[in-house]
Amino acid sequence: MLDAQTERLTIARARKGDRAAISELIRAYQRPLEAFLFRMCGKSDLAEDIAQEAFLRVMKSLDRFDDRFRFSTWLFTIGKRLLVNHQQKMRPLADSDAVDFRGRDARTPVTENIEQERGETVQRMIAIALDSLVEPQREIVLLFHQQGWPVERIADKLSMPEGTIKSHLFRARRRMLAAIEHATGVVRTEEVFK
Amino acid sequence: MSLGPNNGFSVRAQRVLVRVLLALRCEARRSPDPAFDAMRAEELADRIMRELPRRVLPVGLCALALVAVVCLIPIARDYMPRGEAKASVAQVVESSIREQGAAVNAGLGALRAVVAPFAGDAASESDEGEAPAPEGAVAVAPFKRS
Repeated sequence: MLDAQTERLTIARARKGDRAAISELIRAYQRPLEAFLFRMCGKSDLAEDIAQEAFLRVMKSLDRFDDRFRFSTWLFTIGKRLLVNHQQKMRPLADSDAVDFRGRDARTPVTENIEQERGETVQRMIAIALDSLVEPQREIVLLFHQQGWPVERIADKLSMPEGTIKSHLFRARRRMLAAIEHATGVVRTEEVFK
Repeated sequence: MSLGPNNGFSVRAQRVLVRVLLALRCEARRSPDPAFDAMRAEELADRIMRELPRRVLPVGLCALALVAVVCLIPIARDYMPRGEAKASVAQVVESSIREQGAAVNAGLGALRAVVAPFAGDAASESDEGEAPAPEGAVAVAPFKRS
């Protein structure tokens, strides 16, 4: 991540068509954006494609970017919009087709590291926890816990009061805990029957 | 992250949630293969550079300025102070035209001098043949009426 000042200078260079500056912005935000999109849709290929498209659109309209805001806020907003548009176009005929997909495609560059370090259980638990959330809870949890955005910035991005964001975060944690509790209970019961 | 000690969830579930959230944070920050990420970033930068709209405005403005300059050259030349060389050429042309005009006038004068004695006789003959008709005369057609 770039700090605000460096980000502003890099954007100014990128506006003039400086390839190195464009590359710098991509290096800084490609991974966080892909990780965010991956956890939103559960498909690493799709997350990569949408992230690329988001970068392309952002760079094409960099002249319109308002320096008062953070670049990543703008980038993530466009990425999320592209993903929603894609999901609306590709909406499955039956809702059951879309259920529980967030943890299946876990062997990706984004998640390989986590698999090695934490094991598949954590990956499965991430999927279970995120699947228990509804919109906009999932997005708020990802922006807060995955991206490390402060509540104020999330409130600004989602055009919600800060209190609402905090309330969503609280409820989201309870939901995730309930889902994990249920899942770990199931595991324990299975272990008993073995 | 805290839901309070008596939140109704087991310690195990709370520990798992903490691990889940930490793992999520790592996803966005740590790269298992920085070189691969850098390569992908470069590829994307190349693609963006290819697909960026070309900077036509500066080129177009330069072309427009060039056309304007070319069009203004003749007008500017009229307003520019004339050099001595150009002035002398103009004078030479003007004086040569005057000289030719004077020569033509001299030739015409000589011709008139030669033709003048005959011109007087011809003028008197033509005057006799075309004398005006007396008053009260009636014009008669030179052919029969049908």
